[in-house]
Amino acid sequence: MDILKVRDAADVEQVVQAALANEQPLEILGHGSKRGIGHALATNAVLDISALDAIVSYEPNELLLTVGAGAPLADVLSLIDSKNQHFAFEPMNPAKLLGTGHDAGTVGGMLATGFAGPRRVKDGGARDHLLGAHAVSGFGETFKTGGKVVKNVTGYDLCKLLCGSWGTLAVMTEVTLKVMPRPESQRTLVLRGLDDVAAVRAMTAALGSPYDVSGAAHLPATVLRDTDSRLMEIAGGKALTLLRLEGIAASVKHRAGSLTAALATYGAADVVDDDVSVGLWPLVRDVTPFAADGAFGERPVWRIVCPPASGGKLGQGLAGDTGGDVLYDWGGGLIWAALPADSDAHAALVRGRAEAAGGHATLVRAPETLRGMIDVFHPPQSGVAALTQRVKHSFDPKNILNRGRMTRGTTP
Amino acid sequence: MSIKMPVPDAGVLGRRDEIIAALRRIVPGEGVISSAAEMIPYESDALNSYRQPPMVVVLPNTTEQVAQVLKYCHDNGIRVVPRGSGTSLSGGSLPLADAVLLGMGKFKRIREIDFDNRVVVTEPGVTNLAISQAVAHAGFYYAPDPSSQIACSIGGNIAENSGGVHCLKYGMTTNNVLGCEIVLITGEILRIGGKAPECSGYDLMGVITGSEGLLGVVTEITVRILQKPETARAVMAGFPSVESAGECVARIIAAGIVPAGMEMMDKPATAAAEAFVNAGYPLDVEALLIVELDGPKVEVDELILRVDAIARECGQTTCQISNSEEERLLFWAGRKAAFPAVGRISPDYICMDGTIPRGRLAEALTRIRELSEKYQLRCANVFHAGDGNLHPLILFDANLPGEMDRAEAFGADILRTCVELGGVLTGEHGVGVEKRDLMPEMFSDIDLAQQQRLKCAFDSQGLLNPGKVFPTLHRCAELGRVHVHAGKLAFPELPRF
Repeated sequence: MDILKVRDAADVEQVVQAALANEQPLEILGHGSKRGIGHALATNAVLDISALDAIVSYEPNELLLTVGAGAPLADVLSLIDSKNQHFAFEPMNPAKLLGTGHDAGTVGGMLATGFAGPRRVKDGGARDHLLGAHAVSGFGETFKTGGKVVKNVTGYDLCKLLCGSWGTLAVMTEVTLKVMPRPESQRTLVLRGLDDVAAVRAMTAALGSPYDVSGAAHLPATVLRDTDSRLMEIAGGKALTLLRLEGIAASVKHRAGSLTAALATYGAADVVDDDVSVGLWPLVRDVTPFAADGAFGERPVWRIVCPPASGGKLGQGLAGDTGGDVLYDWGGGLIWAALPADSDAHAALVRGRAEAAGGHATLVRAPETLRGMIDVFHPPQSGVAALTQRVKHSFDPKNILNRGRMTRGTTP
Repeated sequence: MSIKMPVPDAGVLGRRDEIIAALRRIVPGEGVISSAAEMIPYESDALNSYRQPPMVVVLPNTTEQVAQVLKYCHDNGIRVVPRGSGTSLSGGSLPLADAVLLGMGKFKRIREIDFDNRVVVTEPGVTNLAISQAVAHAGFYYAPDPSSQIACSIGGNIAENSGGVHCLKYGMTTNNVLGCEIVLITGEILRIGGKAPECSGYDLMGVITGSEGLLGVVTEITVRILQKPETARAVMAGFPSVESAGECVARIIAAGIVPAGMEMMDKPATAAAEAFVNAGYPLDVEALLIVELDGPKVEVDELILRVDAIARECGQTTCQISNSEEERLLFWAGRKAAFPAVGRISPDYICMDGTIPRGRLAEALTRIRELSEKYQLRCANVFHAGDGNLHPLILFDANLPGEMDRAEAFGADILRTCVELGGVLTGEHGVGVEKRDLMPEMFSDIDLAQQQRLKCAFDSQGLLNPGKVFPTLHRCAELGRVHVHAGKLAFPELPRF
C-alpha cells in the first residue's frame, strides 16, 4: 500500500494531478475511523490528510472555527468546549459501534460522512454547520466555496454536497464551521415501559410541543441488556424513552414541568438532572447498545432514516419479522437496527420497508464480504442515480476520488 | 441597464410564432401570454431598474405541463427564465428577449399538512406567509421570514435560499427544507428527499436551494414547521456610536445568547423609519439596536435582563423593553418599514446585501460613510447585526443624469469592501444579474469553473436562466476538459508509510 501523507493543499493538488494522469484511484483518508463504512476500495494508493491538522482560526465571538480537514475531532471538541461552545449537530463517534477503538477521527471525516447525533431534531446536521471549504477536486484543482460568515448565498452552496459525499467529490483541505454556545444546563425526561409505537407517539407529541426538545430517543428493554450501566440502572429492566431539554436553568426546569404534564397520558415521567443527563446522550449518539464488543456485536447494523412519526411501526416490524433489535433517535426519524446475520443482512426487507415509509437505509456495519454483495448506501431511483453520476463527474471526471466507496462497481 | 445579457438568438426569435403555438398546445387556454401589453407585468422583478420584455410568458398548471414545456425548450434550444412571485431583489427572474418566461404562479395549493412529522408539502407558488397561516391554528409556523413574506413564493425562497430577521436562530431556507420535486431542463421529473430528516446520497436538495433557478424548476416542496415559541419580547437600545452598538452585539453572542433576531439601524435609517411609522424611536442616537428573545416566559424574562445589562455595559443611552405584544410589534414596525420609509425621503434607492464578520461592523460603516462622501450620495443602513448581514440603502434620483450609474458604482464598492473585510457579496438576496459581474471579487476562475461544472450536470446546454450568477458563460465541454499537469505518482519528498 502506498500511503501519501500530504503536508499542505499544494501537495493534495499534486497527488490528485498525478493520480489523474495515471487514472489511478485514490483513497482519501483521515484517521480511518470510519474506513469500515461503505464499500471497500479497490486501490492501494492512499492520500492521507491527517497532517492538515492546523487550527487556522477560532473566533468564539464570531461563532466561527476554521481548521485543516485533518484536525483531530477530539482536540477540536475540547478546544471549543474550553469556550463553552460545541458543534450543535452533535457529531457521532462510531468507534464503539465499529469496534475501532476510541478515535473520533478528523473534522474532514466528520463532514464527509455527516453522521449527526440526537440534537439533529433541533439544530440540523453537519451540512447545516459547514459554512465554507477549500477543497481539491478530481480535476486536481483547489476551489473555494462558501465563506467565513454565517449568512451567505453567493454562488452554489457546494458545502452541502461535500457533507455526506464520503470523499467522492473532492478532498477538503480547510473548512470553516459554525460553532454554537453550549447550553448552560440540561435535563432529561424519562418514560419507562412504552412499546416502540407508543414511544414514538410520545416523542412526536414532545417534538411538536413548544418546549424545544433537543433529543428524543427510545431504547427498547431488549437492547438494554449487557450495555452501559448508566442506561441499565435508569431503565430498571424496562424500555427507556428519553427526552432532552437544554438551555438556561430556569427555562429547562419550567419546560421539564410543562412537558411532564403534557405527556401524562404516556405515564409518569422521571426527570434526571444535569450530570446524569449529560452522560446519557453520548450513549444514544454513538449507539453503544450495539457496540462491536457487546451482546449485538456480531450482527450487521443498519442506519434507517425515515419520516419520524412512521419510525415506531417501521422499527417494530423489522425487529419482529427478523428477530432483530432496534433503537430509535430523532424522535423515530433515525432507527438503528441490529438484525441477525443472514445472507443479505435482510437488505431487501429493510430497503423495501424503509422506502415504503418514505425513508432510506444504509448498512453501517457488516463484514467486508457482505458489503461486497449488497449496496451499502440506499440505491436511488434511476433519474436521481443518473444525476448523482453527472454530479460526481462534474467534480471528478476520471473517478479518482474514493472510487466505489458509495456504490458497488466502479461508479461513485 | 449597464449589465450585458446573453445575445438573443435570432433563430429562436424568428420562430416565435411557432414556439407560441407549441406552448399553447402544452398549456391550453389563458396559460400562454404573448401580447406586448399583457407581458408588461413580467418585464422585471423587484430589481425594477432592469427591464426586458420576455419572448413569451407561459403559466403552467401541472408538473406534467412544466415538464413538457421544459422538454420542448430543451429539444428546440430555447432559453427559459423561471419566475415565482417576482420579488427577487437581485434580478433573478429578469426576462431575456429570446427566452420563455416560466411563471409558477398557478401552483398555489398546499398539498399536505403533516403535524406528526412536522412538515408541510406545498406547491411552489404558495406564499411564504401562507404556509405559516395554514398551520397557525395548531400553534406551528414556518420559520424563515423574508421581509417580502406576504408576497414572495416558497419556490422563489428555494431558488434564492431566502433568509429574514429570524435566521440567526432558526436558519435560512436551506436549513428548513427537506425535499422537493424538481423538473430538469430535459423534462425529467425527479424527487429529492421528502419527509425524512435527511436525504440519501449526495445532498442535492442542499445545492438546489439557492441555485437561483439555474438547475431546475421546483414543482413541489416539503418544508419543516416548528411550534411557535411561548412568548417573545424585544429590547430596543440606543447607542452614542455604531462602535458601541457593534460591541454590544459581539458581547451578546459571546455571552452564549442566541437572540431570535438582532437588528441595527443607523441614524438616517432610524430617522426615516420614525418619520414614517412613529414607533417612538430615539432620534438622538447614532445606532439603534433591536434584540428579540423568544421561548418560554421564564427564559425570555431572564435573557432580557442579561441583554439589558450587556447593553448598559456597552454604554447604551436609551433603552426600552417591550412589556406587551403591541409594544414588541411597535418596536419592529419601524424596522420592518425601513425600506418604504427610505423610499419616502428619496425618489429612488437601491438596497445592497453584503455580509461581513460581525466584529467588523463599525469598520464597514466607516468605509460606507467615506464612500457616501466620495459618490456624493446619501446612504441609510439597516443590518441583520446578529449575522453580519448589511443592507445599506443608497439614495438617488434616477431622473438626474448619471445618478443611477453613480449609485450602482457606490453599491459595487460597498460589496467589494465586504469581501475585503472577509465577508461575501450577498447574504440573502442572491447574485442574480445585480452582483453577477462582481463574482470574480470573491471567486477565482477555478472556483467559478467548478460551480459551472455542477450547472452542466443539471443543464448541459445552459438553457436555464442564463446570464444570471456567472459573469461569463462557458461551454460544458470546455469546462469538463481535464488538464493533466503531472506525470508519475512518485513524490519522493512526501513521507511514506
